[in-house]
Amino acid sequence: MKALFKSKPKTPADLVRQTRDLLIFVDRGGPDTKESKRDEKMAELSKLIRDLKQVLYGDSESEPVAEACAQLTQEFFRENTLRLLIVCLPKLNLETRKDATQVVANLQRQQVQSRLIACDYLEKNIDLMDILVAGYENTDLALHYGAMLRECIRHQSVARYVLESEHMKKFFDYIQLPNFDIASDAAATFKELLTRHKSTVAEFLSKNYDWFFAEYNSKLLESTNYITRRQAVKLLGDILLDRSNSAVMTRYVCSRDNLRILMNLLRESSKSIQIEAFHVFKLFAANQHKPPDIVGILVTNRSKLLRLFADFKTDKEDEQFEADKAQVVKEIAALEPKERP
Amino acid sequence: MAMEEREGECQRKPVSSSTDQYYPLDANCYKIVDEIGRGVSAIVYKAICIPMDSSVVAIKAIDLEKSRADFDSVRREAKTMTLLRHPNILRAHCSFTVDRRLWVVMPFMSGGSLQSIIASSFPDGLPEPCIATVLKEILSALSYLHGQGHLHRDIKAGNILVDSNGSVKLADFGVSASIYESNLTYGLGRSSSSSSLRLTDFTGTPYWMAPEVIHSHTGYGFKADIWSFGITALELAHGRPPLSDLPPSKSLIMKITKRFRFSDHYEKTKDSKKKRFSKSFKDMVGLCLDQDPSKRPSAEKLLKHPFFKNCKGPDFLVKNVLQGLPAVEQRFKGAKIHSKNDEDDEDGDDDYSSSGENVKQRRISGWNFNEEGFELDPVFPSDQQETDDNMGKQVTFGGEIVIQEKGSDGSPQGSNSSPGQHETQAASTGGGIDMGVVLGSLLFLRRSLDDQRQQVAQMIASIGGEDSLETSREDQLMQAIEKLRTEVESERKKRAAVEMELEFLKLQLSNEC
Repeated sequence: MKALFKSKPKTPADLVRQTRDLLIFVDRGGPDTKESKRDEKMAELSKLIRDLKQVLYGDSESEPVAEACAQLTQEFFRENTLRLLIVCLPKLNLETRKDATQVVANLQRQQVQSRLIACDYLEKNIDLMDILVAGYENTDLALHYGAMLRECIRHQSVARYVLESEHMKKFFDYIQLPNFDIASDAAATFKELLTRHKSTVAEFLSKNYDWFFAEYNSKLLESTNYITRRQAVKLLGDILLDRSNSAVMTRYVCSRDNLRILMNLLRESSKSIQIEAFHVFKLFAANQHKPPDIVGILVTNRSKLLRLFADFKTDKEDEQFEADKAQVVKEIAALEPKERP
Repeated sequence: MAMEEREGECQRKPVSSSTDQYYPLDANCYKIVDEIGRGVSAIVYKAICIPMDSSVVAIKAIDLEKSRADFDSVRREAKTMTLLRHPNILRAHCSFTVDRRLWVVMPFMSGGSLQSIIASSFPDGLPEPCIATVLKEILSALSYLHGQGHLHRDIKAGNILVDSNGSVKLADFGVSASIYESNLTYGLGRSSSSSSLRLTDFTGTPYWMAPEVIHSHTGYGFKADIWSFGITALELAHGRPPLSDLPPSKSLIMKITKRFRFSDHYEKTKDSKKKRFSKSFKDMVGLCLDQDPSKRPSAEKLLKHPFFKNCKGPDFLVKNVLQGLPAVEQRFKGAKIHSKNDEDDEDGDDDYSSSGENVKQRRISGWNFNEEGFELDPVFPSDQQETDDNMGKQVTFGGEIVIQEKGSDGSPQGSNSSPGQHETQAASTGGGIDMGVVLGSLLFLRRSLDDQRQQVAQMIASIGGEDSLETSREDQLMQAIEKLRTEVESERKKRAAVEMELEFLKLQLSNEC
């Protein structure tokens, strides 16, 4: 019967308000409500969240409309809808969880009067990040919360919060969870945190140098897990070779422990790990102010290293790699053991 | 080989709860029974899961050493397979690493892929009612997939699996992409020479890119899946993908990429008119193979096409397709021997669900879907003027590149390059290729192109001759020159493409030596 009189289309703000009301209902989870009633409301909520997604992303027939997106975003962050949605996520079904994740992701990029109001909201509700990060401990939620988290840390202030929080330590374990999809999601977030916002990362690394690299070395670079080592040595190269982290790099290449670990990685049977390890090792060799103990190690292992590099090749021809290698070989060959006065 | 059968000390410790049943995340809990498929960087095994009442599973073991260091494509595949829930989509029970390999544990589909079924029992293609039944299931999967913002991007018979009960599932998400994924490190159009959409280009730009920027491209991607769906329909109907009725010079480019088998089979069926296909089938495929992506129907719309009206159930497939079929292990072994004997055969594409890992593109300027003959003929630039009368529809497709194919290794082409990228190429190498043969073929191709050019020139001249009453001879000549110039231009482009291909092959070869 309803179909005869097509109801007036809901405005984006209406959609958000109705979603919020239902989320409040779900959140309370009143035991007094009948099950059939509950199911009905859940179905309605699922539909609303899908509608929100449709406004934000459009569909096969229509492109999203900027004005509608702005209205939706404004209403969404006017009240506490994001918190409700995150908190209620475990109660939603899989399809709705996916829709909700996509809505949250999209909202991070929506501008209202050229402001990212999602960022303002998150700064005031930064504890939501605690929920999202902890999501990695829950197999059923990890991929959804993880995806939301990666979107949120696009905001520099939010990334800074996560970097400086206690959560950062947990990532070393999340990366090695047995479940590959979750572990690799955590690794992607970890990488994002350590590479996206250059100045914040540089500041974080210099302030937290000691514990961070101690963990990084022992838990990741010396992990028994192949994929962990491979990802870690690649990321380490990315971090140290970034100009904004030059102070950190200088410090890193003066440690004999670090050198020892990298030399072990150079000897791995995995070509990929060897190559990535080389990109870090070359920094030790190229350092013009090598501490004596570093020189000592390099001199002691000189012949072994030179032999290794002699038939060390990338699969594809790589001029830069060959040039780097030649440079490293030259540096090592020219080393003289020197005694400090 | 990286793994052997393991038994004993299987503890029931970490399990994946992302599935309805909990499959253990420990290699010791699985016992490998047989190899049922092999690609360049993945092997598919039949295995039993000991603590799950020794239930049978398939394990795709992906060699991570051949994967890029950020493992983005592998991660995406695992995530996609975990989060998609549809009766016609093959899910992963769980995935975990075993030394250098990633094990993706999946339901075992005892019928294997349609490609292997056809190869072993239906060399002339499946009967039409079976095709309709299979395609409807796949369309239903596609409709769901597209609704979720995912593109499959590798629809083909080799990626359609059948279970013993006749259920049909779409598999292999190694190259799929999601439009909602924030880091679109993938070009949706994976063609480096195609001017259309390269999301890759956006990767490094400010992350605040408006969603509609992404979205405006998605229609294209979805419709590319529909195109592949149409080709798959032809593949099921003829027992071979299109192209095999081409003279060798034309099929050469395709041949290099080793996807298609070559035999005279297509021509036989064409000549003897053994096969009769219904009008609605032809019409349905014609819609999918429309030259204009925007005119191709969506998966949802296509489901309502009359062709899918009276589809049979899974039992029908059991009776008409699966009965008497050799076991999937047997077929795999047979295929292995076969491909050893036949160098031109595709490599590794006979596998169970992982496809050939090669990053390959075939360059053709367009396609003619010949509705009468129910075939798809590629259009080379020189053919275009003459085709209009005898062909049903002329299809060109986003510039130059028509079908893209990429294996589950999925190294994104031309994505922001980083120092660690040298393995990309290596990862995408195919099987061994005989340089001498390739070179000879290329030279032959060049000669044939010259011939074609001459023929076209003659034709143009003869057409021009008839019009001579209206246009002066000079004008005609000018026109002819103009046409020839375009002709030469497109030939040149094509040759450049072939040369690139050759370069690529050289690279592969040098990598393999």
